Amino acid sequence: MTSNSEDILKIENIEVMYDSVISALHDVSLSVPRGKIVALLGGNGAGKSTTLKAISTMLASERGKVTKGKIIYDGTSVINQNPTEMVGLGMVQVLEGRRCFGHLTVEENIITGAYSRKLTNSEMKDELDKIYSYFNRLKDRRKSQAGFTSGGEQQMLAVARAMMAKPKMLLLDEPSMGLAPQLVSEIFKIVKELNEKEGVSILLAEQNTNIALRNSDYGYIIETGNVKLHGTADMLLNNDEVKELYLGISKEGRKNFRDALREEGSTKKENKFSKTI
Amino acid sequence: MTEILFFVEVVVAGLLAGTMYSLVALGFVLIYKASSTFNFAQGAMVFFAVLAFVGFMELGLPFFLAFIVTILLMGVVGFCTERLVLKPLMNQSEDTLLMATIGLGFVLEGLAQAAWGVEVRRLDLGIGDFPIQWIIDTFGLFVSALDLTAGLVAAVLILGLSILFKYTKMGLGLRAVADDPGAASSIGIPLNNIMLLVWTAAGVVALVAGMMWGARAGVQFALVDLALKALPVLIIGGFSSIPGAIVGGLIIGATEKVLEVYIGPYFGGAIEGWAPYVLAIFFLLYRPEGLFGEKIIRRV
Repeated sequence: MTSNSEDILKIENIEVMYDSVISALHDVSLSVPRGKIVALLGGNGAGKSTTLKAISTMLASERGKVTKGKIIYDGTSVINQNPTEMVGLGMVQVLEGRRCFGHLTVEENIITGAYSRKLTNSEMKDELDKIYSYFNRLKDRRKSQAGFTSGGEQQMLAVARAMMAKPKMLLLDEPSMGLAPQLVSEIFKIVKELNEKEGVSILLAEQNTNIALRNSDYGYIIETGNVKLHGTADMLLNNDEVKELYLGISKEGRKNFRDALREEGSTKKENKFSKTI
Repeated sequence: MTEILFFVEVVVAGLLAGTMYSLVALGFVLIYKASSTFNFAQGAMVFFAVLAFVGFMELGLPFFLAFIVTILLMGVVGFCTERLVLKPLMNQSEDTLLMATIGLGFVLEGLAQAAWGVEVRRLDLGIGDFPIQWIIDTFGLFVSALDLTAGLVAAVLILGLSILFKYTKMGLGLRAVADDPGAASSIGIPLNNIMLLVWTAAGVVALVAGMMWGARAGVQFALVDLALKALPVLIIGGFSSIPGAIVGGLIIGATEKVLEVYIGPYFGGAIEGWAPYVLAIFFLLYRPEGLFGEKIIRRV
């Protein structure tokens, strides 16, 4: 069923409802070209996670449902599959919040990622070596219980675990969440490396617009369940609106929060704070 | 000297009887680990399994064949439970699942009695509930052969399960599911297969426990209630720990026998029935996760 079209994933006008009443996505369309990194950007509650879960079919476990539109992954229409089948088709999602198996060791966690594959012991060893070559840090910690590793290590572990399934496409949900900037760049560096060397296509949902766009080929910005803007990463990085709203850079340059407040105070005649006093 | 010997005898008898509690508790732990639910049907499963086993023996099947057929039957029960009860209730709250297991218990009890009748059966394993001469001669202790067998069987079963969980792929999958079912399914671990494995394993454990209890007390409906003795065992040992089930069973077994013999007379006897629950209450007050319960790992 492998198609040779250049998009590995194509979403057309999907609408998603939770519990058949709460509408989370209204009209989202996007496509991920084979072997590229696409960023899905937006604030809290914009619908990034919902979009990813619609693709990986994890929605059903949260009583969500795609009510309109279609999702085509690698030539197959995603309708009634379950997550296990999607992993079999080469699509793996790294869930938001890392979700490592806390009571398992780091290495056991990585091995669980290969559950869907039949590997001999020596093949498994090769796969582990390959994974450790990307995630050096995990090699040192492979005997420790995953629950006791740091947030950055857990995020790496979650990505490493997903890579063990040998995915053609990886869905990353907020890999930067709660991590120090240095770690975030380290993780994005590895993600980029995986994309280039392993040829895995990536769709990543991020709030950290800046780092996400700098490591992606293409970007979509969604707001309240609709695609608001999309374009190549460079184009978005240079777009005035994106700069102002998502990167915190105005035409006059970077502003800090206090200046922004002061400006707002002077434009509206009465100061917001004086009202409360 | 005879005083001490008598005390040792009481403790040993208690410990060995405790392994029988451990066996029942083990069934609960398996299911609790995989689905964080207290399986109220475990007692009914014990009853169902051993009644089926006796039923097959009465049909003329030899011991070993009847054992295998019953294990297969418990596999079918596990499969039906997964399909008809667990799957439709997926992602519902743990309380819902708990209620469902109570219902499942009634169904199994009813089915068992409908199929094999209600009268008390005798189960002869060929091992009597009498002391072993060799141990009397060497140590001067009276130890029941049935108790000793139960202890050995429990040990083998536990070793087998530990190996299954620690070293097999299925076991790894099960531990992953126990930690985070959502994450497990996101990387392609098939939850339904794991559930089937767990319920079948719990069925096998139920069968073995039922055979041990049945050989002592007769195969009868009271086995269902007896299984509830596993509750204090689990509170003491921790719901999610296999070693906990074992140690908890041993503690309950030994304490209740010792209390019965030495303190029982002051209460007019028969404190075996409730002493374990008192012990459990103390554990709930001072160590609610049990001796071996999995501590919640939290990063700060």
